[in-house]
Amino acid sequence: MTAKTETNVRKLPPCRAACPAHVNVQGYVALIQRGKFKEAVEIIRRDMPFPAICGRVCFSPCEDACARVNVDQAVAIRGLKRLVADIERETGRIKSEPIPKKYGEKIAIIGAGPAGLTAAYELAKLGYPVTVFERMSETGGMMRYCIPEFRLEKFVVANEIAYIKDLGVEIKTGVEFGKDITIQTLQDEGYKAIFLAIGTQLGMKLNVPGEDLEGVINAVDFLRTVNLGEHVEVGERVAVVGGGNTAMDAARMAKKLGAKEVTILYRRSREEMPALPHEVELAEKDGIKFYFLVAPKQIIGENGKVKAIECLRMRLGEPDESGRRRPIPISFSEHQYEVDMVIPALGQVAETSCMPKELLNKEARAPSIKVDPATLETNMLGVFAGGDIATGPASIIEAVGAGKRAAVSIHRYLQGIDLRSGREEVEETTWVKNWGYINKKERRYEPPVEKPRLSFEETREYLENLKQHAMFEAFRCLGCGPCAECLANLELCEGDKAVVDETLCIGCNVCAVVCPFGAIKKNEKEIAQVNEDLCKGCGICAARCPEKAITMKKLPNEKILSLALAIVKG
Amino acid sequence: MMELENFNVVCFMCNWAFCQEEMQIPSDLNIVRVMCIGRIDPAIILETLEKGMDGVMLVGCKPPDCHFIDGNLQAERAVKMLRKLLKLTGLETERIKLLWYSPTDEKTFAYYAKKFLKEIKEIGFSPLKRGAPKSKLLVNVLAAKNAASDFRLRVLLGREKELTEGVNVYGEKFSVEEFDALLDEIVTEEFVRHKIHVLTKTEPLSVKALADVLEMKTANVLRHIVNMRRKNMIALDHVEGTTPLYKALEVK
Ligand SMILES: Cc1cc2nc3c(=O)[nH]c(=O)nc-3n(C[C@H](O)[C@H](O)[C@H](O)COP(=O)(O)OP(=O)(O)OC[C@H]3O[C@@H](n4cnc5c(N)ncnc54)[C@H](O)[C@@H]3O)c2cc1C
Repeated sequence: MTAKTETNVRKLPPCRAACPAHVNVQGYVALIQRGKFKEAVEIIRRDMPFPAICGRVCFSPCEDACARVNVDQAVAIRGLKRLVADIERETGRIKSEPIPKKYGEKIAIIGAGPAGLTAAYELAKLGYPVTVFERMSETGGMMRYCIPEFRLEKFVVANEIAYIKDLGVEIKTGVEFGKDITIQTLQDEGYKAIFLAIGTQLGMKLNVPGEDLEGVINAVDFLRTVNLGEHVEVGERVAVVGGGNTAMDAARMAKKLGAKEVTILYRRSREEMPALPHEVELAEKDGIKFYFLVAPKQIIGENGKVKAIECLRMRLGEPDESGRRRPIPISFSEHQYEVDMVIPALGQVAETSCMPKELLNKEARAPSIKVDPATLETNMLGVFAGGDIATGPASIIEAVGAGKRAAVSIHRYLQGIDLRSGREEVEETTWVKNWGYINKKERRYEPPVEKPRLSFEETREYLENLKQHAMFEAFRCLGCGPCAECLANLELCEGDKAVVDETLCIGCNVCAVVCPFGAIKKNEKEIAQVNEDLCKGCGICAARCPEKAITMKKLPNEKILSLALAIVKG
Repeated sequence: MMELENFNVVCFMCNWAFCQEEMQIPSDLNIVRVMCIGRIDPAIILETLEKGMDGVMLVGCKPPDCHFIDGNLQAERAVKMLRKLLKLTGLETERIKLLWYSPTDEKTFAYYAKKFLKEIKEIGFSPLKRGAPKSKLLVNVLAAKNAASDFRLRVLLGREKELTEGVNVYGEKFSVEEFDALLDEIVTEEFVRHKIHVLTKTEPLSVKALADVLEMKTANVLRHIVNMRRKNMIALDHVEGTTPLYKALEVK
């Protein structure tokens, strides 16, 4: 990697810094506080095209980073996002206008999952002609074909993709990379840059005898078939093998399709399960059973059909490289469960047969494309890759982040700009160190898992009620980062900062005491100094400074006074 | 519409306190938006009153919701101090109102605005309307404004939270009542000093003359004068017979 030549560090609040797509959380939450729901969605769309999707199924690293956890609980960021996206949809169709093409260079994107679609969205916004090639008949990748309808409704996915399409992105479905098109043919057709975002589509095998019996179906294949709308014969007693989110989805789906008993078999204990606790809870609510510390040894069949699964008991040894304790089989602990369906859900791997060998990452254990993590360049000039194909199975928001990074790289590549120099980096900035004085407030908004069926009038009432809750919840945000850039009230707050007249300051420290954000400190000369990254322009210091040494750049006392007096008549 | 009928009412409003429907705001109401209601300098409010404003409404977020953590409580402290000052001037304290407004309030903002206007109409026009002859009241309001601009009250206001919630360098903690008593005392002292300053600005005055106007004992007036001389607020102008006359100095 070349040395950093020039840096361009952006200071962001913890939520935004933690989000792989750096969505302006503090900004849209601030807008929700003011009841500006539509504007809030617009703020989200500046950073990514999937507010409604992520509002439902994002793993929300923002909430994990939320500073409010130090006081009580994280702000319900994901719920708020879902709400504003739903309000927008319910109160009128969202339409986007085609963006005029500014550049002539054609760009090809392979795979219409979140990574590919985000890159297309960003590049279209920049003014490039973009074509997305997708092998399946419909777009959305895992969001369309794997995540079950009960967590992510397909019309939501379709809506958000339609928005991208309307910007002028061309999407060609039913085109398979490696068969219908290759890097060579695309380059011959005049595509100047290529982004590979084909994800990881193959379900991992159990690698035990009996895996080809009728009644064994991999979790991703199972979910995909269901999502394609095809009929799947579900057994009476189903065993799902694995402890990740895919296992939870597959188990819940099997149950919803009519299985009497669904059991998740996991080789470690509950603590080591990679699935999110929330997902596990939902699975338990649906009546899914869990057997821990068991691993399949073989699947036993009868007349070519699954009859039982034989397992070994496990115990936990020392932590392995993943940090979780390694399961060790206990000898002679074989036992059987009678089942008529087995769903292995051990994770996904990439299909690499479709691409040139030189792109592959030879060091990695699982097949993947080798990329520079910062720029997403591959070993081939003009070819970029990102999303699950580069990282292994991850998440939507990481794929979105990759799509954004790829778009920046491709734009730089096409315009002959260095891929690294001056590229934006982010740094977490927050004002709070001492939490003691912040009032505890209950988390007031949990979005309903499923929206009730309501009439038109009821829907309005329902939404009004949700809006109220959302505004209260938004007020829990401490706004702990620098300015939110929400542009909620441009003329008022854009860039307002406190300025100290050093000749007047006497170092009394009142400003430092009243500043809610600790943005003012005395320097070694006992003179107040404003940290511009933390100052949010509230002006409380200017209202209290005993020597009137502090003024606000945009809204000084004199201006407030003259605005107030403008009306006074004799 | 508010039906202002020549009443001058201004509403300082937190950018975050009102939501949803800006339309709810009566079009003829003079609104000055600020980032946080805690941003309003008490001296500004007194100056608007001095210039003849009939009513001043402050609208902030209902605690504990404040975009700036506790800026709304800063406003509450300022209003408390303002009321104490106003009481000394003789102007109706009801001319200032602090409203906590929440976007999820049942009543609209317009409801509260109209209610306030009604209250102001009941009190009547401000006696300080522009063009009114310079009166005792004006002197008082000027003195209050200057007191609110001066160091001591501002420091006290700025430090109230620290003093009542934390512990000072001597390990003492003030109860809210103790602080209130202290505030009363300092508000009164500062008001008298600034009144002396305003009065001696136009003509040099003796302690006796000041005591008559202030309705105070001469000894107490003298105590203030000594203090004010030390702070370069006032100086001996000349002596008439054996009576010294004092004149205000320009404060920076
Ligand atoms: C069951 C399940 C549940 C999940 N739940 C969540 C969740 O709740 N939250 C979350 O954040 N993440 C979740 N994920 C993970 C998330 O879906 C993925 O990390 C994300 O979709 C990866 O995006 P991607 O664009 O890299 O790949 P994908 O979404 O896999 O998209 C790749 C696209 O490329 C296409 N493609 C593949 N090969 C070719 C080819 N040769 N030619 C042309 N096109 C091709 C595919 O058809 C697909 O449309 C889940 C995953 C699974 C399997």
